[in-house]
Amino acid sequence: MTGELTGIIILLAAMAVESLAQLCLKIGAAGGPMILRPACRRLTERLLPGSAAKPWIALGLFAYGLEILLYTFALHFLDVSVAFPLGSLCFVGVALLSQLFLGESVSRTRWLGIGLILAGTVFVTL
Amino acid sequence: MKPQFARLPAPVVAGLVLAVVLDTFIQITWKLAVRDVPADASVHTTLRLVLSSPLFLAAMLAFLAQLWNWLRVLARADLSFAQPFTALSYLTVLGISAYSLHERISVSKMLGVALILLGVFFISRTPYRTLDRTGSGGAGPGSTRP
Repeated sequence: MTGELTGIIILLAAMAVESLAQLCLKIGAAGGPMILRPACRRLTERLLPGSAAKPWIALGLFAYGLEILLYTFALHFLDVSVAFPLGSLCFVGVALLSQLFLGESVSRTRWLGIGLILAGTVFVTL
Repeated sequence: MKPQFARLPAPVVAGLVLAVVLDTFIQITWKLAVRDVPADASVHTTLRLVLSSPLFLAAMLAFLAQLWNWLRVLARADLSFAQPFTALSYLTVLGISAYSLHERISVSKMLGVALILLGVFFISRTPYRTLDRTGSGGAGPGSTRP
């Protein structure tokens, strides 16, 4: 039981890291931090100064590596019927970060789609 | 299925399809690599066994291809648009597992598959790219925001 709780915490951390990894890759793919909303850009300048794109891809890859490690450890504690639906929470994390940092318009239709995917992953593992 | 894909540029469609194919391959090889590790193995043993597996190397090569492809997709489409499409790989993995293990797909699994397909369908109906609020027509990599 405590093992399961440990697994859930590690998995949630993995999904947060994966969402951040996706954000970093998007910044890198889009040509650099100019894609960020101005307020967020001032925040990230402290973390990663300059306008180059490549460091963001590197940061994204580092986060991805960390995510893979976390996810692998989480799978040792969790049944797949728990890990799988929790893993799809990264769709929520990515949508939130896209809206917050990139100013993407995540419409109700898009949220509905994400909600249906989450529900779907629960039923798939039942 | 045609109308909502018609307004998507062909490179984005091709990139999303390739992303699902590569993701499926990565997940299956990854699963097989981790399956060989005993459940009670220590962290050290787990790392050693996984890192030395040829399946793990195959997964890593596919991961590099995936990175290249994914950066091309993200250069053209919204992250919150493109990323949910990767949920389709859940379905391909489920299908391949069920087929290779000769499993019957239960009613709840079918319902789950339908919900995921419906979810991805809804997302495909949304604009693939958020328009730049400066009104210049599109938020390209070089566009500036006030």
